[in-house]
Amino acid sequence: MRRLLAALLLTVLFAAPARAPAAAARDELVIGITQFPATFNPAIESMLAKTYVLAFAQRPITAYDASWQLACLLCETLPSLENGLAKVEGKGIAVTYTLRPDARWGDGVPVTSDDVVFSWSVGRHPQSGVASAELFRRITRIEVKDSRTFTLHIDRLTFDYNAINDLRVLPAHLERRRFEAAPAEYRNRTAYDQDTTNPGLYNGPYRIAQVVQGSSVVLDLNPYWGGAKPAFTRIVIKAIENTASLEANLLSGGIDMIAGELGLPLDQSLAFARRHGDRFTVVTKPSLTYEHLDLNLGSPILADLRVRRALLLALDRDTMTRQLFDGRQPVAHSMVPPLDWVHADDIRQYPYDPAQAAALLDEAGWKMGDGGVRADAKGGRLALELVTTAGNRSRELVAQVLQAQWRKLGIELRIKTEPPRVLFGETVTKRKFVHMAMFAWYSAPENVPHSTLHSDAIPTAANGWSGQNYTGYVNPRMDRLIEAIETELDRARRQALWHQLQALYAEDLPALPLYFKADAFILPKGLKGLEPTGHQDPSPYWVETWRWE
Amino acid sequence: MTRCGAAILIVLLLAAGLAPLILPPPDALDLAARFAAPSPEHLLGTDELGRDLAARLLHGGRISLTVAVATAVLAALIGTAIGMVAGYHGGVADALLMRLTDGVMALPLLPLLIVLAAADPVKLGVPAAAMDSEGFAIGRLVVIIACVGWTTVARLVRASTLSVRARDYVRAAVAMGASPGRIMLCHILPNIASPVVVATTLSVGNIILIESALSFLGLGIRPPLASWGNMLTGAMDVVWSTPALAVWPGAAIFLTVTAFNLLGDGLQRALNPRGDWAETAH
Amino acid sequence: MGMISAGAARLLQSLAVLLVMSFVVYGLMGLMPGDPIDLMIAGDPHLTAADAVRLKLLYGLDRPWTERWLRWLLQVLHGELGYSRLYARPVLAAMLPAMLNTATLMAASLVVTLAVALPLGIAASLRPGSLLDGAVNLLAFASVSLPVFWLGLMLIVVFAVTLAWLPAGGMAEATAGGAGVLAHLVLPVGALALAGIGQYARHMRAAMMAEAGHDYIRTAKAKGCSPWRVVLGHQLRNALIPITTIVALEVGGLFSGALITETVFAWPGMGRLIYDSVMGNDFNLALSGLLLATAVTLLGSILADLAYWRLDPRVRRRS
Repeated sequence: MRRLLAALLLTVLFAAPARAPAAAARDELVIGITQFPATFNPAIESMLAKTYVLAFAQRPITAYDASWQLACLLCETLPSLENGLAKVEGKGIAVTYTLRPDARWGDGVPVTSDDVVFSWSVGRHPQSGVASAELFRRITRIEVKDSRTFTLHIDRLTFDYNAINDLRVLPAHLERRRFEAAPAEYRNRTAYDQDTTNPGLYNGPYRIAQVVQGSSVVLDLNPYWGGAKPAFTRIVIKAIENTASLEANLLSGGIDMIAGELGLPLDQSLAFARRHGDRFTVVTKPSLTYEHLDLNLGSPILADLRVRRALLLALDRDTMTRQLFDGRQPVAHSMVPPLDWVHADDIRQYPYDPAQAAALLDEAGWKMGDGGVRADAKGGRLALELVTTAGNRSRELVAQVLQAQWRKLGIELRIKTEPPRVLFGETVTKRKFVHMAMFAWYSAPENVPHSTLHSDAIPTAANGWSGQNYTGYVNPRMDRLIEAIETELDRARRQALWHQLQALYAEDLPALPLYFKADAFILPKGLKGLEPTGHQDPSPYWVETWRWE
Repeated sequence: MTRCGAAILIVLLLAAGLAPLILPPPDALDLAARFAAPSPEHLLGTDELGRDLAARLLHGGRISLTVAVATAVLAALIGTAIGMVAGYHGGVADALLMRLTDGVMALPLLPLLIVLAAADPVKLGVPAAAMDSEGFAIGRLVVIIACVGWTTVARLVRASTLSVRARDYVRAAVAMGASPGRIMLCHILPNIASPVVVATTLSVGNIILIESALSFLGLGIRPPLASWGNMLTGAMDVVWSTPALAVWPGAAIFLTVTAFNLLGDGLQRALNPRGDWAETAH
Repeated sequence: MGMISAGAARLLQSLAVLLVMSFVVYGLMGLMPGDPIDLMIAGDPHLTAADAVRLKLLYGLDRPWTERWLRWLLQVLHGELGYSRLYARPVLAAMLPAMLNTATLMAASLVVTLAVALPLGIAASLRPGSLLDGAVNLLAFASVSLPVFWLGLMLIVVFAVTLAWLPAGGMAEATAGGAGVLAHLVLPVGALALAGIGQYARHMRAAMMAEAGHDYIRTAKAKGCSPWRVVLGHQLRNALIPITTIVALEVGGLFSGALITETVFAWPGMGRLIYDSVMGNDFNLALSGLLLATAVTLLGSILADLAYWRLDPRVRRRS
């Protein structure tokens, strides 16, 4: 009797854990990400997790698609000078948009020009807490033609005049009351956080139906969505911070896919693909996230161009990206990513050449000393300090690789890590890094590097530390090129200017380019239609094309 | 059992000493051979940057052991000084010092160590260039851990001092006019030495655990310097593909701490057969 | 009367320690990388620009650190613990769920540990020198030498990776309510329990054996009481006194004892909160969390002393 019982117990124990991949209804998709949004208001606080979750439920008027072309999401036609919907006025431009007739909030109320005007007033208010206020400031007034058509009067003419991706539309019929009661308190009173499941807040294919703080968001179909009907009736997004746990959940069927925008680090994803390639595919796409080393050009060592070039020549970036990232993160030669249409291939590149690097250093006065470290005539060692974000495993690995490669050339590198808040809040913003800072710039397609390379964008105490030209790069020719590109409307002429800009960057090397990061999407074999975008407008903007096969 | 412990330690020391001769250097990167399986070239395989695992284990062992022994000795010195003064002088000094000891003992160990370890030495005036060296990294940890680790020895020494102080030969020395310092050093100290030695030996194991915990959290010994603790930090991320990276450093910690505990236990039995169980803090 | 005055003295002493701790830790925060004042103030969305300026003047680095500490203390005594940048909510709101989670973890592991360790210890004490006794000793020895985080990692490797029986960590994603959380509790509780069982079993064994030599046990046996009655009725009850003291001390480690385990298993508790806030330069949260952990530890040691005093009539009579 006891033996029978024991046998039964053992059978149960061994049978129970046998997990099959989730036999979830094929009309539900469970997505895993590594971070939970701190707020759900589309305009306040720029945060990738929030942008990702909202991408299913809320659409901006315009956005970049997977081929990095500007597309209309809520508007009917993209206004341009060619089709007459945009007209130059003085130094600025007037751009007219017409909202789609089927654009409606989840409670049936149509999206109107009134919503746009309201959103603009929120964005312009100094205390509302809106993150990217730049666009709102540039729009001097909005002329409402009718309930769906409006004209934006922008105070300056730039080539990307019709990209208003940052103008997130808020539902006036729900938010106006909350905003006007106390504008400074709006970010604490917004219905997006107080009443997140209110369908009227969302104008996309889905609406947020349920939120478990810190843990998961459930999205149901928006019955008033006028566009293509998505294949999934329900989407569940689970936030799992621990990457080992994220992987485990994927294998056990707790989640169906891992979103690349907020997923596993690339090398972990690749290792995963090697082990479970039969059930999952790993899709990567090089993005415009530019991983680089900002150099403090105020340091006497780095002020010498020969030293900067030698530093780059001494790095075997091809091997690094091949070995560490399976070749999925292309080596960068300037800040313009390879998928960008203005990318120039024929600028000066720095392939691995330790001999030339050594020659340059000798020429610059750094002779190999004892202990294997170079020294100048006065005996000062060629010792540099690199600061980067703590807790980022792949950056730590790359830093160690850099250290080892430079060591061979007689350059001593000290690696320092700081929490991101300190690095970005203090160290780079106030230009306190001694020699080098390793981090990534995250921008948009054809993004003009005004704030990073123009001489008027160097943060100083006098200007309240505004600007992102942390290297302190000053070159009048670069300034002129930047200003010219911003206002050049002719594509061919602009491309030529971009070519000159990239060539100048590669010659001067204010920063050392490393590579462009790639997001890794881990998708089950049957999921089709999901295309990584490679920029900050995430893939769920096109969730209507996702389907099981 | 004691001999077992001592044997393990000797083997470890020998291996650490011989390592530079037979194994590749611990910081030699080889990007082409990441996560390699064990081979004649790399006895235990390689880690995420292609560095030889065995070499890093032994190098890390050298660092961990140095930290642990130095900390134990420093903590013992501090604790002995405090305990002897408290036990010998009694009265206000004793009350004050014992309240201090109680206070420090009552503090949550790991959170406090984390705060201490996260402090930026540059703000204390340490020149940034000095911070690179292995010596500084070790020294910083030794000071931090010793700051909170002296309490057990202090208590022990105080109790022993109290009992020894009442002995005749001490009273004779006092009568002869010897200074308190001389009495403490020449008469009391030699007689309380054995429990202190035992407690110190037993504490080494504990300190190894604390240091590896701190390094695991990223606050102790930082890469590229190897430490058993920081070798395990990286292992968390690759625990699926290369579990071996998680097994070896932990096994090394376990073995070494066990060896020290065996040694300490044996010493205790030899030197203090009737004594109470020595406290091993968690 | 004696107990109350002694208790009051201990309480005052603990408050003094807490005060000194807050002073020391506040000073240590100033040594963290970055500008602590900026970081303390800047995260609060309730602040207007004018407020931020005013606060910077108040807390500014030009003020001596001792003065800044006093101002902070006054603020805390008014119930204003500050705002957590990391969690974008007031410090207390960030700490409460973490406290609950850690309490759950520690309570569960204590229950499991005692449930296994006490019977083991009793059994070992009844058969000294036997195989069981040897095994208990070995386990105790091993558990003291084992790094808890490695144990946790090994458990993950075996049960979550290789066998895929249990989740690899976290807790927040357990949307299936109670049953889900239970699955996530198993491994961390397992790690903590395995680390603690050896110690408790050894303590129990020692306590039982200490009691065994006493006269009243021999008297009871001579009286003809059945062996079980002797063990359970007399020996055990007295042996539990030192155990209770030790458990009371464990309560002191309620919020800080599982820090490493919480990190390995991504359990969102107080230990992780303190670690994340120190690493994330969230000074308000780090200060408050650390002081809370200290207060609870001090409370634990007071409880231990009280328990000892209460349970052991010999001690009471002596004073």
